Amino acid sequence: MRERFLTGYNDFVLPFVLGMAFIISYCVVGMVRIILQLPAEDRKRFFISLVTPATLWKNIKDIFLKCLIHVDIWKRNKLLGYMHSSIAFGWFMLIVIGHIEVFLYTPHRAKLFYYPIFFRYFVAETESTMKGALIFFLMDLFLLIVLSGIALAIIKRVRSVMFGMRRTTNPSFFDLVGQYSLWAIFPLRLLAESFTADISGGSFLTKSLNHVFTSFLSNHANMLPAWWAYSCALGVFFFVLPFTRYMHIPTEILLIPLRNAGIKIRNARKGLAKAQVYSCPSCGLCIDACPMGVMKANIRDTTVYLNRQIRRQNEARIEEISDKCLLCGKCTAICPVGIEGDKLRIAQRSIRKYNLSPDYSGIPVSGLAAAAGDFSGTGHGERILYFAGCMTALTPAISRSMESILKKAGADYSFMDRDGGICCSRPMFMAGRFDAAKQLIEKNTEIIRASGADVLLLSCPICYKIFKEKYRLDGIRIVHHTEYIDSLIRQGVLTVEKDGTRYAYHDPCELGRGCGVYDEPRRVVEAAGVLAEAAKNRKESICCGGSLGSLTLGFDKRRAMTENAVTNLMAGSPDRIATACPLCRSTFGRYSGVPVEDIAEIIDRKTTKTDRS
Amino acid sequence: MKENIVIIGGGIAGLEAAGQLLKLGYSPIIIERTERLGGHVASWHRLFPDMSPAKELVDGLVAAASGANIFLNTEISFVNRLKDSYNIMLSNGISIITRIMLVTTGFSVFDASKKEEYGYGVYDQVITNRDLEHWFNGNADPRIDNSAMNAVGFVHCVGSRDEKARNSQCSKVCCITAVKQAIEIRQKFPEASVYCFYMDLRMFGKKYEDFYINAQRDYGIRFIRGRVSEVSENIEGKVVIKAEDTLSGKPVKVTLDLLVLMAGMVCSQASSRVAGMIPLPTDSDGFLKSKDNVYGVVESPKEGIFYAGACTGPKTVPEALAEARAAALDVHLFINGLK
Repeated sequence: MRERFLTGYNDFVLPFVLGMAFIISYCVVGMVRIILQLPAEDRKRFFISLVTPATLWKNIKDIFLKCLIHVDIWKRNKLLGYMHSSIAFGWFMLIVIGHIEVFLYTPHRAKLFYYPIFFRYFVAETESTMKGALIFFLMDLFLLIVLSGIALAIIKRVRSVMFGMRRTTNPSFFDLVGQYSLWAIFPLRLLAESFTADISGGSFLTKSLNHVFTSFLSNHANMLPAWWAYSCALGVFFFVLPFTRYMHIPTEILLIPLRNAGIKIRNARKGLAKAQVYSCPSCGLCIDACPMGVMKANIRDTTVYLNRQIRRQNEARIEEISDKCLLCGKCTAICPVGIEGDKLRIAQRSIRKYNLSPDYSGIPVSGLAAAAGDFSGTGHGERILYFAGCMTALTPAISRSMESILKKAGADYSFMDRDGGICCSRPMFMAGRFDAAKQLIEKNTEIIRASGADVLLLSCPICYKIFKEKYRLDGIRIVHHTEYIDSLIRQGVLTVEKDGTRYAYHDPCELGRGCGVYDEPRRVVEAAGVLAEAAKNRKESICCGGSLGSLTLGFDKRRAMTENAVTNLMAGSPDRIATACPLCRSTFGRYSGVPVEDIAEIIDRKTTKTDRS
Repeated sequence: MKENIVIIGGGIAGLEAAGQLLKLGYSPIIIERTERLGGHVASWHRLFPDMSPAKELVDGLVAAASGANIFLNTEISFVNRLKDSYNIMLSNGISIITRIMLVTTGFSVFDASKKEEYGYGVYDQVITNRDLEHWFNGNADPRIDNSAMNAVGFVHCVGSRDEKARNSQCSKVCCITAVKQAIEIRQKFPEASVYCFYMDLRMFGKKYEDFYINAQRDYGIRFIRGRVSEVSENIEGKVVIKAEDTLSGKPVKVTLDLLVLMAGMVCSQASSRVAGMIPLPTDSDGFLKSKDNVYGVVESPKEGIFYAGACTGPKTVPEALAEARAAALDVHLFINGLK
């Protein structure tokens, strides 16, 4: 390879250079701002994580697998995965191999950052260049891979169903500008490199095209407009990037280390929240996932639109979207980037100003603590404190079954809120009213600690989640009744009569996605009957529609959601629906054609007294 | 040719309409799903506000309607729309061609087990107003017979005015029914304390207010304004209810021997089924939709199809009877118009 120009410069590189300079400075400023916005302890934690070998390795691995290969999207849909990784990984490889070329043939130009991008324009092939045939081939191969990705992206705009997406996001104006310039970059690169291929060399793609072009475009002067167009496409893309969804490309590289450092959202708009909002690629996977989307309703209230409105600072819409959400967490579970739609919304709710704030500090706890400490005293093993919660108080069949199971198991138990108790605070927490929630947490902590229990047993996943996450109950094991019943069955304390009844198990949001309990309830159901899985289950389970999460959805709006969730559960034609949440149970009970039961009720029905009691 | 008049449902509205039509010289056909006439009222004991026996009323209506063609244990299999009439196929194999139908399919009692927090179907001491009325009527009920009645509670608005229970409408008769049943309980168990937990007391009918004052003054029934929040069971097997007395602003907790849930009225499945076959529209409250809710309550939007009674919404007995008479007259005028 030899250089064709002494200066190593042509004016056409300017759009690219300016665009690149703009976007790099924008990203650096943005990154510094986000890091500065983190609370001091989080920032320290972040920096430490960056030099800790384990997290460092995880960061590199995650960035490679998520940003370039897009493994999560592959798992979802192969075609969608290929589309994303072909563009991201293909482009990345073009940049890498481009730099290798520069270092191999014109090392003295390595300091010019536009040189690898427009390398083919500046060099001419010599006899000795044949050694580079492999590199030429790779460059053309990756260009072809990227082009195939772009072709798929264009098809996806028209027929997203092919890619496993029923609905996609409505692009904003800047998104469209960014998208068209991105789509233009690679065909223009092919065009430019093909024009130059007889001088600078090329492989199967560029060389062949060059032969076609020379047959009717003999003049080499035509190459310059093509290179200008290529550079302009890059320049436009970089200039609009901060205002488009493509901002997710640089932001995700920051989000991954932040997440791996274990940082949580502390501010509704700053720090991690900001990184998450800007990491949203507007792919729209959350639109199909959202349980509010049945009958094509509430599509504009999904996480992708929340992110867009936060970027636009449209406060009225942010409030509407944040308050409407059921907080089922499904968008978070399926988001390929890892945006926490539910937590982001709770954060938005937390900055709301209220004229009235409840004060729970005056609730007396001594009476409740005394009642909680009144264990049945069978002397078998651990002291189990059973907290039914308000939702279970409204479904007394569940607490009654649970008490019966505890008796059958001969457990040394106490029913903490038999005569009323204090709210676990999860509803307050969901409403973003953290101070009020904290007061309730303190009250309950006092009662539970005073009781001298070893285990806190819960029937309601809503309570379970907050007890696990926000309570400091060191030394006290927190279990949901499905886990407890599962352990009783496995230890042989309970003997369950199995029959042929088919049960569809509904994963409650707070128990499944919220706490990761998927297998224990299924094992329990299988001990009593046959498990008929729903069409969408586990992580993808559909919210019953009764969630306390939404502050604004009325019963009339929720009906379609519940009916949709019931239809999903009926996929395996079950005889009964089993669930493990009192709220899901009463919500489904209103609309289901088959009986709906809590796992505790099923087990109580199908067990007889054992010798232990 | 003589017009066939098909009355769907042999409850009090259907019987009264049939009786009136017979007097007008028609011979209506009554289709009744169950094995006996009289509907819900036939299984009730006494009617407010004068404690008149329900049996007398139903017997009178049945006697007056005895000239009609009555098909018991019969359901409509399907309805075919012909050019200007309907072909009704019955489950007993008979088919009827008619231009006139009177829908008197009535209501269903709300399934109280859907309001699980009140413990119906969970605790043995929780019954509904219907269960209590059956017991008054002499049917044994182990939930009542086995208890020594020291305290009895009534919960108003169970499945009425309750969006969560999918019924936002007022069922109209439960307030006064609770007053009536509370008085009857006191008459049976003079020592028992009787509590009524209500949101509002809607004493709209003739002599209702007097009846209510009577219940307070003469029978010492305690009315507590506030919804019951939850029901549980204590160790002795009695039910414990928690409510808020919203007038004094204090939470109350009462241990009861019997809790009676005043289950409201909902559109019956039979009404929905018939409406689906003809088809007739449903109003936003789930009941059948009238042509006009002020002027044309007994007319359906379809020509020749009339309503009477609780198929269009909660009604008291006299209201259902009045509608039946109005519908009979409408049918008569409609037939005259055909000639």
